[in-house]
Amino acid sequence: MLQAAERPNIYCETLGPDQFGIIEKPLTLAEQIYNKVWLRKIAILVVLALGWEIYGRWLDNPLLVPPFSATMRALIADVANGTIPRRALSSIEVLLIGFATGTVLAGLLTVFAISSRIGTDFLDTMTAMFNPLPAIALLPLALIWFGLGIGSLVFVLVHSVMWAVSLNMLAGFRGVSATARMVGRNYNLSGLRFVARILIPAAFPSILAGLKIGWAFAWRTLIAAELVFGVSSGQGGLGWYIFESKNQLEIPDVFAGLLTIILIGLAVENVVFRFIETRTVQRWGMQT
Amino acid sequence: MARGATLASKTASDMAGLRPAAPAVALRGRAATDAETGRPLLDVRGVTIQYKTQAHLITATYRVSFNVLQGDRFVVLGPSGCGKSTLLKAVGGYLTPTEGEIRLKGERIVKPGPDRIMVFQEFDQLLPWMTVFENVTFPLKTTGTLRGKAADARAMHYLEKVKLADFAHSYPHTLSGGMKQRVAIARGMAMEPDILLMDEPFAALDALTRTRMQDELLSLWDDTRFTVLFVTHSIPEAIKLGSRILLLSPHPGQVKAEINSVPRGQDNSNEAAALGREIHDMLFADQIEEAPNAAGG
Repeated sequence: MLQAAERPNIYCETLGPDQFGIIEKPLTLAEQIYNKVWLRKIAILVVLALGWEIYGRWLDNPLLVPPFSATMRALIADVANGTIPRRALSSIEVLLIGFATGTVLAGLLTVFAISSRIGTDFLDTMTAMFNPLPAIALLPLALIWFGLGIGSLVFVLVHSVMWAVSLNMLAGFRGVSATARMVGRNYNLSGLRFVARILIPAAFPSILAGLKIGWAFAWRTLIAAELVFGVSSGQGGLGWYIFESKNQLEIPDVFAGLLTIILIGLAVENVVFRFIETRTVQRWGMQT
Repeated sequence: MARGATLASKTASDMAGLRPAAPAVALRGRAATDAETGRPLLDVRGVTIQYKTQAHLITATYRVSFNVLQGDRFVVLGPSGCGKSTLLKAVGGYLTPTEGEIRLKGERIVKPGPDRIMVFQEFDQLLPWMTVFENVTFPLKTTGTLRGKAADARAMHYLEKVKLADFAHSYPHTLSGGMKQRVAIARGMAMEPDILLMDEPFAALDALTRTRMQDELLSLWDDTRFTVLFVTHSIPEAIKLGSRILLLSPHPGQVKAEINSVPRGQDNSNEAAALGREIHDMLFADQIEEAPNAAGG
């Protein structure tokens, strides 16, 4: 046995970084391909479309589930003759008006909520009451108040967007760290400047999540509302297109309408929101 | 209120029993000599700070008085629970003392302001949506201290001083903890405030980085002779960084002593070791109960 006192001190020479052959090695092509998010997502979509095609052909009943290829043919035909783009534009126009109004109102409400206790209580109570209320349930009332037309649609859209967005905004503002707040006050920021320069950027991940939820809610509400009464200012949106096609038993067209909504949703999520995310919260290291 | 008052007066009488009036008089005497040479930069006089939690009214500090002169490296040292961070927040203007007053250049402190820049312990004091450079220029521009090119030049000057000019356009999340603290120090110094308030800025760093940061802070001080009020719970850090050290006792924080540190650069000398032992004995003279909130300092 070696005694503790007999252990010598050991000193070693370490190698310099130039002495090593490989410190960094590029990944293989397959690994690089697998690392691309959009490629993985497209692969998922291809598998889903393939499953749909196989099921549709096996079922062989285009009135229930037309295969993917038939839906695509209907989609391409109606896109080419301009029906779907026109309907989609009409829907998106109403959607944007409602979404923007709802978001601005939510912003005002939340700023009011964080600036006073009574404001917080007001927002808490209002969201507790109205957030669970489906916007579509207000449609009959809206039709009486605003008539058949864009006014009623915007009203229900604002209702569906506002509460979800303000809940997320408020949660975001409340979660801003005490240090960031103290830093802002150290530089004499107060009131709206404090909100704009400190609170909004610091709460941006929550605000963005709220906007995404609001966007999805707005779509659902709009399509549902159009299915109920549809036509506004002479021409309906996508919901009305789906409803019409169903009445004429053009089931591939119904699927084409649904597919359009899905495609727009995917595009907004993966292009618009993705762009905002990479430019803000990801660059700032607030989201990994 | 009643609870806080009885607690405070009880500890006050304990204090009187432990330490006779002589040192206190000596303290006041020293403050008077400062007043002769010139008005102190920061005048903390009889400050009692109380704050409420859900169930209690807590007295954080009791009648704390001290003066900070221009160019001081003034360290507030004490165990956790002595109210040193609370005291610093009061100097920052985030808290209002229940008794006594704090004056900076004769002006009473009532709210936060850019004449006293805080450097916090937390790394999230850098605003993550701005680059390092934008973080440093932000207070300059938002307070109207400097505009445009002048602000940019000042920011770059101080970033060079903390050796981070190469990282000016990186976002804070890509920096290490020590680098983030250096940016925060550069941001504070770029404002050229009357006094820099540092709340244990190196406490969250590893020991090696911490030592290097202390050396860098001292060499920055050699350059610009800024006034700094520095809060710490580490005796070696206080001796190394401070030119003058204020010792606080815990629960509530009261002044135990205000002493000169060893001369600059002699923090490894025998005198420094002796001073360290002296401070240690003073801090641990009375039994310290475990603080219920370890974070509150």
